[in-house]
Amino acid sequence: MYPKVAQGFKRTIFFRSGHLSMVQARHWARILFFGSLLLGPNVAMAGDKADAAINCDIQKGACTQSLAGRIITLEVLPRPVKAMEQLTFNVHIDGATAALSPPHIRLNMPAMDMGKNQVPLKLNAQGIFEGQGVIVRCRSGRRTWKATVDFAEIGSVDFIFDVIY
Amino acid sequence: MEHDTIALFLTFLVTGLTVGFGHCIGMCGPIVVSFSLSLPGRRPLVPHLLYHCGRILTYMILGGIMGATGSFAIVAANIAILQRGAMFFTGALIVVMGLSMCGWIAHVDIFKLNGSPGGAIVKTFARLSKRKSMTAYLPIGLVLGLLPCGPVYTALLAVARAGMAAPSIYRSIFLGMALMLAFGLGTLPALFLVARLTDMGWLRFRDKIYKLGALLMIGVGIYFIVAAIRY
Repeated sequence: MYPKVAQGFKRTIFFRSGHLSMVQARHWARILFFGSLLLGPNVAMAGDKADAAINCDIQKGACTQSLAGRIITLEVLPRPVKAMEQLTFNVHIDGATAALSPPHIRLNMPAMDMGKNQVPLKLNAQGIFEGQGVIVRCRSGRRTWKATVDFAEIGSVDFIFDVIY
Repeated sequence: MEHDTIALFLTFLVTGLTVGFGHCIGMCGPIVVSFSLSLPGRRPLVPHLLYHCGRILTYMILGGIMGATGSFAIVAANIAILQRGAMFFTGALIVVMGLSMCGWIAHVDIFKLNGSPGGAIVKTFARLSKRKSMTAYLPIGLVLGLLPCGPVYTALLAVARAGMAAPSIYRSIFLGMALMLAFGLGTLPALFLVARLTDMGWLRFRDKIYKLGALLMIGVGIYFIVAAIRY
């Protein structure tokens, strides 16, 4: 008798308001799996203002962040900063820039991989690192983007901002 | 082939692979699941393969155009209307597939849409979603390849840059097409995995899954239509 009871117990999952057989539970798990694949990502992605803390209002002007004791400034032109348009990225770093190799910017969404989109920068006559790039548009409608400025010598800094679609 | 070119192809292939799992499962997963649900009791490999062939062929055409022009922003602006149409088409297709699975397509006929343009559209979608015509998945893939997609844009952006560096326009076109082929192939494993996991063959209570899946599909289709209008 005991083994039979144990077997039955094994095949049953108990919930607060009753019980569900293991087979039923498995099927409901599959239904939830289908449902989450069908609806989950799109519905979740439809919500704006995600996850990431926006630390820059790129539409108003240049943004600053500190990195290794230095002030990094990012400006994106023309404003308003729109997706799917040719943009100029300007990066300024306080102090001497001679010792630094030109950085590059990685553009991506904070919560979704959008592929490798890099903007190489070159030092211009005004001592500003400048480059051309495009912020692409996500079908989800989400507008928050992250520009990571990578310096080989001092590391990386993130600028998180909203673009206009 | 030069080492740089091989490295470029590998970059596109690996990018396709990573965004496949990091992006495509979320954004294109509902489409693949809808196809799986609309193919009950059949081996879904062939229709899925045809769909992906169509999708990748569109990527290659876009890659060729991008390579030839070298200007992402201009091409993107010109195809925006087509992409909106593709989004609307996708939504309508999924809704009709869902309605067909529920057996509600007949109700649509009650509204006497048969003679009208609306009826023709419904009929076309219904025909496309019929399980007999597997070859329909190739043109569906061709159209759905136009869906607005961030990683595809990013890949096309890189193609435009690579195209500008190519010595002739023919090389640019060929390079653009080949790079987008590599990117598209990279996205396959993730989407085939979704198709495999949602294969109806290993489900017992199909009818329940059907009804629920069909309702979810109708919801997803409406979401796509609304997104197309708002895009």
